[in-house]
Amino acid sequence: MQSLLDTVAAEISSDSGKGITWVLVYRTEKYKRLKAEVEKQSKKLEKKKETITESAGRQQKKKIERQEEKLKNNNRDLSMVRMKSMFAIGFCFTALMGMFNSIFDGRVVAKLPFVPLSYIQGLSHRNLLGEDYTDCSFIFLYILCTMSIRQNIQKMLGLAPSRAATKQAGGFLGPPPQAAKFS
Amino acid sequence: MTSISKRKEESHLVNGGVKQSTWSKAFSSNAVWEEKDEFLDVIYWLRQIIAIILGVIWGVAPLKGFLGIAIFCIINAGVLYVYFSSFQQIDEEEYGGTWELTKEGFMTSFALFLVGLVMSIKMYKLLKYNKN
Repeated sequence: MQSLLDTVAAEISSDSGKGITWVLVYRTEKYKRLKAEVEKQSKKLEKKKETITESAGRQQKKKIERQEEKLKNNNRDLSMVRMKSMFAIGFCFTALMGMFNSIFDGRVVAKLPFVPLSYIQGLSHRNLLGEDYTDCSFIFLYILCTMSIRQNIQKMLGLAPSRAATKQAGGFLGPPPQAAKFS
Repeated sequence: MTSISKRKEESHLVNGGVKQSTWSKAFSSNAVWEEKDEFLDVIYWLRQIIAIILGVIWGVAPLKGFLGIAIFCIINAGVLYVYFSSFQQIDEEEYGGTWELTKEGFMTSFALFLVGLVMSIKMYKLLKYNKN
């Protein structure tokens, strides 16, 4: 039980990275302004893409491309502002992970009620002795806590990007959802 | 700012927070959702609540293995489907289809379910051990 509580406490304490981000970045006017601009543009662009038709004029398409370019630039500026905190978080994370790995090395922190799939066992049974794959290592539980507790805390505090912004940002990494309409 | 847009602001916090009036709409049948994101946030948080509850119950009940996980997935998806299609009677196409609504917050709720499950199993064993 102690190991389990320690793992959850480790996850919560590593959220101190988010606290640093809040102090260094999220409080600043420049970040708030950029974020609001990105949200507004993402929503506007999404609405425009929903209403555009196959037979839309060249001018309409050019307008949308210009807006996408503007959004890309704002996203890039936002990333630059976040860079400060990313270094701080990276440093904290590396230090904390090194510490927790040495504390929890070889310790079974929990028992899973199922045998994980073979490609997950490398993570769930990491650094543990024996062949009982229901034994759970620290790193697996930590990842689960990150995916659940941290995500929900971010969302609750309003620190998560909006769906429109995520969708448009995803479009810059890969083909955007409406790309086919312009080809 | 008009009173309507001010009310919109009051009822829905930016990026995921959900206020009192949104929750009262969430539990009223056939509510009107002016903002898509507002309804999606309600779906998200309902999913998290279901995950926590099922995680705790599954830890106590003898539901182990992938059968337990499969039943969780079915209940999670099924309950929310009934909620948005029958209780709220929303137009799924407006939100990108049933699949978009089903996957809203699903992975996070699954991770939360597993965390809840592991904690619940441990607590249950501890209480049982102390009782004996």
